[in-house]
Amino acid sequence: MSETNATASVENEEKQPRRLSRRQFLIGAGLAGGGLALGFLFGVPAARLRIAESTNEGGGGFFSQSNDPLAWFEVTPDSGVTLYVPKVEMGQGVHTALKQIAIEELGIPWDDLTVVQGTTSLGPQDSSGTQGSTSVSSSFTPLSEAAATLREMLRAEAALQLGQPAGTLVLQGAGFATDAGAAITFGEIVANKQGEWEVPEEPAPLKAAGSYDTVGRPIPREDIPGKVTGEIVYGYDVKLPGMKYGAVLRPPTIEGRMITVDTTAAEQMPGVIKVVVDDDFAGVVAESRVEAWAAVNELQAEWDEGKLWRQEELEALVTAGGPGGVTVQKEGDADRLLSDGSAITAEYRTPLMVQTPLEAQAALADVRQDSARIWVSTQAQSRVQELVSEATGLNQEAIEVVPTYLGGGFGRKLGDVAVEAARLSQGAGVPVHLGWSRPEELKHGFFAPMSHHRLQAVVGDDGRIQAMKHELGSGDILFAFFSPMLTAVFGADVGVTRGARIEYGVPDVETVVWRRKLPVKTGTWRGLGFLPNVFAVESFMDELASSIGMDPLQFRQLNLPDTDRGRRIRAALEAAAEGANWGDPLENGRAQGLACAYDYGTAVAAVAEVSVGESGKIRVHHITSAMDCGLVINPDGARAQIEGNAMWGVSAALQEEVRIENGRIALNNFETYPLLTMKEAPTVQAILVDTGGKEPSGVGEPPIGPIGAAIANAVFALTGERLRRLPLAKSS
Amino acid sequence: MMKLIVNGEEKTVKDNPSMPLLWALRDELEMTGTKFGCGVGICGACTVHVDGQATRACITPLSAVAGKEIRTIEGLAIMDENGRQTLHVVQQAFIDEQVPQCGWCMSGQIMIAAAFLEENPAPSSEEIVEAMGRNYCRCGCYVRIFNAVEKAAQKVSMKTIQESTT
Repeated sequence: MSETNATASVENEEKQPRRLSRRQFLIGAGLAGGGLALGFLFGVPAARLRIAESTNEGGGGFFSQSNDPLAWFEVTPDSGVTLYVPKVEMGQGVHTALKQIAIEELGIPWDDLTVVQGTTSLGPQDSSGTQGSTSVSSSFTPLSEAAATLREMLRAEAALQLGQPAGTLVLQGAGFATDAGAAITFGEIVANKQGEWEVPEEPAPLKAAGSYDTVGRPIPREDIPGKVTGEIVYGYDVKLPGMKYGAVLRPPTIEGRMITVDTTAAEQMPGVIKVVVDDDFAGVVAESRVEAWAAVNELQAEWDEGKLWRQEELEALVTAGGPGGVTVQKEGDADRLLSDGSAITAEYRTPLMVQTPLEAQAALADVRQDSARIWVSTQAQSRVQELVSEATGLNQEAIEVVPTYLGGGFGRKLGDVAVEAARLSQGAGVPVHLGWSRPEELKHGFFAPMSHHRLQAVVGDDGRIQAMKHELGSGDILFAFFSPMLTAVFGADVGVTRGARIEYGVPDVETVVWRRKLPVKTGTWRGLGFLPNVFAVESFMDELASSIGMDPLQFRQLNLPDTDRGRRIRAALEAAAEGANWGDPLENGRAQGLACAYDYGTAVAAVAEVSVGESGKIRVHHITSAMDCGLVINPDGARAQIEGNAMWGVSAALQEEVRIENGRIALNNFETYPLLTMKEAPTVQAILVDTGGKEPSGVGEPPIGPIGAAIANAVFALTGERLRRLPLAKSS
Repeated sequence: MMKLIVNGEEKTVKDNPSMPLLWALRDELEMTGTKFGCGVGICGACTVHVDGQATRACITPLSAVAGKEIRTIEGLAIMDENGRQTLHVVQQAFIDEQVPQCGWCMSGQIMIAAAFLEENPAPSSEEIVEAMGRNYCRCGCYVRIFNAVEKAAQKVSMKTIQESTT
């Protein structure tokens, strides 16, 4: 493996508490009517700075880690306290969770703080987007500190205005009171302020873990009432006066490029206002959506179809091995032991999968001569601003991107639809709403890449793994969005390698990844590489346990290392096993399987209980899913994420696969890519494991990891047949 | 122009009998509470009531609903004369159980549950799964959707018992 090189240490990096220095606060100026605006910069951990700098210079798009302010408080004389956040609400409850963190330190009543979704012109900017289960974990310490600092700045000023020592002021509502009965509101404090605000030299004291009032409580989500009445406005719902509807012509093949297009027939269609053709882009703008969709079908294009790829060719492409592998984990010399002939080897594959949020891609663009406004259902508003600027020729500052509520994201809502809407709006000179159809959503976005895994290990008679190697081939995930310079800096795609490391205590261990360029567009899908990798590694762990006749739980307990991370994985594993009554007799015809993993600072484990029908159909009856995500901000929200991830895992394990036929995505509508329904859904027991974490870690994706392997392991326990491909399909 | 009866009010839309009800509601009447999911009647995000029956609005042409009572998510809660809103028992149960994540499918889930409980106020677990198993939720809120429909059913049957004994 002489051509391998060391890769970025991002995955190994343990989370460090980050205290904000005084200079990392920003004080806003020029608030109408007087007031105080306090923002803070994203505290980037030192180990990440080098990468962050390269990312920014190299044009890492929305994955860059810049020093943007992460949130912005405003206190105004009339409207109380407002917290502007760039993180978008896509069902993960992030606005409620961030409000809980802020309220904890501000110490004001719940209703006195309003959380507002920022835009690219309003509130703080956040070029990293809402992704990677990082919104709450990256915000916790800085947001707590900003809230505490704001509180103390207001307290000091209140003391001055009331002529009382600051130490005698106690919080009362959104204001302060003294023993003597004097009281002043935050609004009065900022209205009466003379001169400049200053951030205090001393950092404001933070509450000790364990003394929280708001953090850790299952506070009802603030976005839910509007979601049961239909009032919440998503990207697909946005309206402007005079708005028209767009539709875009799609290539028939995955490599297809338009050569020429005849627009005559489309222009004659009812309701058509304009046909927009620009290089290899063609679309129509019409009075109604139905008319736009009908007219786009009448565009007569000539295509260069490109190579007509077959499924088997893509699978061959992705296979691990040969030159170009990048080692991402190495201790000792795994190859030495593995080459002595006693090694166990197994190979696993996962397919292309599609995110298909139930709200398809949608954007409304109003592009004018020298400015533009874009409303879009997106996880990456800064990226949208960049891309729309490139497409329209307008300066980024002249473009305001307003993120709406998202009808699901799952890695797919990166905002490319906004560019198409902007091109149509610019071409037609009217505001254009573009909403994708379901076939577009299934075929014309990007996919979770295929992956191939070769695992080898030697296990001693005592049940301890002596050597283990994971060789992984995959299409791009994050690299799909990176410049060539950046991919060189990173070495390996850190999206692909999520969950690829062997977390067990193995003396000789190695993980190697091969980057495989696929002809089909690939990218982010919930958890990125986590589900595929854990499917392979944890299925293989079961094969090893079986090879020496050891119970799968006991085998994992024996091999997990006695490190902080190892202990946390073990705690999650044991909580899941106990919750599922692992080892107890089950109903006839059922069996359990388990798996565990570690991702984004979070330890997860799951037990699946399955049966197999006469036709070979696998049924998952129950999932017990345990998660240690450090400090839990909202336990009900965390459980909801565990439940949703369980459904995603079951759906992926049993029925999700995108296939390529004759150069085309072999999908049409949901009849060709059926999602899990309540009829196939398991019951879910969600367990939150507390190992004393003082800060929160990721919640939105980690629990998906172990589900596929747990199901495959249960099927093996029941039938003796080892299924090594997703989606799992019994041979008989 | 065509007349539609939506949530008890007469509305006017363009005379286009083949236009799917979904787009007339969303784009002409600007009632966007009813959602688009697939356009072919599979996912159920567009479920509304037509004369009380749960109906996929994306595959229902306007010609099929002329003169019929259409109810959408916007008309499910009851408004009293003071403009005070009382949520439908199913809507309240979806809040109480903290069901929605992204929420895009929820209008459809709530409309299908409301029609189902109207027909079958005391369903078995299997009947709930059968009825609700017709709609997709990509976030995977199925555990909570089931619990909410079960809770709502308990309230509905309680009310039915109270009414029949008074």
